[in-house]
Amino acid sequence: MNMAMSFKNLLIEVRVYPVTSTRHRKSVVWQQLVLALLLAVASYSHADNFKPFTADSFAEIKASFQGSEFLVGLWSVDCPPCLVELNMMGALLENNPDLPFVLISTDPISDRESAMEFLEDFNLHGRESWMFADSFTERLRFSIDPNWYGELPRSYFFDSEHVMQSHSGIMTMELLAKWFDRELSL
Amino acid sequence: MIKTVLRRSLLSGAAALFLQGFSVAALSQSVDCEANTSIHCGSAPSAVFDANGRLWTAFVQSEQVFVSYSDDQGTSYSEPVAVNPIPEDAEHNGENRPKIIVDQDGTIYISWTLKTSPRFTGEIRFSRSTDGGKSFEAPRTINDDNLFAGHRFETLYQNQAGHLYLTWIDKRDLEAHLADDREYAGAAVYYAVSKDQGKTFSDNYRVADHSCECCRIAIAPRGPENIAILWRQIFGETTRDHAIAVLTPNGATLETHRASYDEWQIDACPHHGPTMVQSSLSGDYHMSWFTNGDLHQGIYYGKFSFDSQQPDQVYRVDGSPGAGHPYLGEFNDTLHLIWKGFDGEQSTVQLIRSFDDGASWTDPTVLATTTQGSDHPLVVTHDDGLYLSWHSDEYGYVFQKFTDRSESLSSD
Repeated sequence: MNMAMSFKNLLIEVRVYPVTSTRHRKSVVWQQLVLALLLAVASYSHADNFKPFTADSFAEIKASFQGSEFLVGLWSVDCPPCLVELNMMGALLENNPDLPFVLISTDPISDRESAMEFLEDFNLHGRESWMFADSFTERLRFSIDPNWYGELPRSYFFDSEHVMQSHSGIMTMELLAKWFDRELSL
Repeated sequence: MIKTVLRRSLLSGAAALFLQGFSVAALSQSVDCEANTSIHCGSAPSAVFDANGRLWTAFVQSEQVFVSYSDDQGTSYSEPVAVNPIPEDAEHNGENRPKIIVDQDGTIYISWTLKTSPRFTGEIRFSRSTDGGKSFEAPRTINDDNLFAGHRFETLYQNQAGHLYLTWIDKRDLEAHLADDREYAGAAVYYAVSKDQGKTFSDNYRVADHSCECCRIAIAPRGPENIAILWRQIFGETTRDHAIAVLTPNGATLETHRASYDEWQIDACPHHGPTMVQSSLSGDYHMSWFTNGDLHQGIYYGKFSFDSQQPDQVYRVDGSPGAGHPYLGEFNDTLHLIWKGFDGEQSTVQLIRSFDDGASWTDPTVLATTTQGSDHPLVVTHDDGLYLSWHSDEYGYVFQKFTDRSESLSSD
């Protein structure tokens, strides 16, 4: 869908290129095609659902879950233990698709393509996902939790009254079952 | 397509820092980072003085490592020279930056970590200049296993005997274990040595299994020939505290000890490596590190003696959230420790000093602040004092002597 749409937009744009003579028409059409393909590929690679995480985003996330419990998983493409956790979360969500889970990558949003590859591997690419979009990362971390030192993976559980609990390191099934107060299976 | 034009507003030399008691503002110049290669625009710089007092810096911009020097202690810089003419994905973050050393003869040594395509993999890269920084030799890969495995977080050090040591975090043993379906916690620490000014390097030597995967390694001298290294190590299953070891130029690890007892039980990446200098007063090792363990939380100082084989004088430098990335320097028998903190509004670089070999410390002094993103603060040692080396989005690269200031700010 995304690909088709960007293709269409692109053709409209390319058509305004001046065609100076019929002699060159063939090569211009060819150029248009190549350009269209290139740009379609480029926009396809941005066909992700990452939202830019700024200093106000965490409040926005909390507001969107007002009155409901939710889980936040912070991760990075540069964190080997995060992969272990993402792998587990992918499997868990397959069996429990309604589990409210929000992903926040601490990588700059310019790295969205490599972050997307990770999420696709674990079938997490359809989940609500944010990426750090401000180089002042200290402020972003502070907006989530002033008591978080930046270690990853880091996770937060908010109950329906938004009482927060936190965990550093890989989450375990026991911890998640305790937080959500129900039996969960992989 | 919209191009973002980055502009670094720079504060000039002495006005660059916001020092306690000195209120300083005034933007003096700016650099268009879209059109220029400059240390102010690049990221993760390192700096060192050569024997003639020239300041040399290395930084990354657009997948190239550049070297640029300053003859006026950081006010102006030479046209940067690319170390790798072919761009490659050189790591450039707080824990992973290009390193630069200039020896007595003026030979310039550069190392960095090249990010390669399988996840968490990299190569340890090295180059040198034998013509005073006009040109650099083609970069070489120093890890000798020919594996697409993790070789990252390198540190470069030259000791009194002139031996050039390269240490790094290595995952070849992890890969070998995984291939045999065996478990292996963390990574390993490896090193290589050059005894001919970087012309050739030794084989790779393993120092220890089960290091933490993602923290810089600290190096200090141990006699003229050997070095001491400090790194985050996994003790038991998940305790990520610190270890210290003595390495020889011939590949032997003479002794390894536990250097910190914080009981940080964590299966995660702290991205937070230690700092270490050898004491000129006692010959012991001043260490500082970050932990969030059961016993200690925050930035800590400790002194390690190879006689007692224990950390001593352990002191909590800053336990407030957001405090991290300490760096030590010693000048005139005074120990200086800087680190970065965040108070909810701004990042601060703070300084404490010890006049008694780390037994007691002054109150903190604020050296610099920013309300934008910034690198880890580093200390550069020179004959005439200690300098702060710090890159921020707000001010570009700041290089500023802080020992004079700290004397005048002394409250004791």
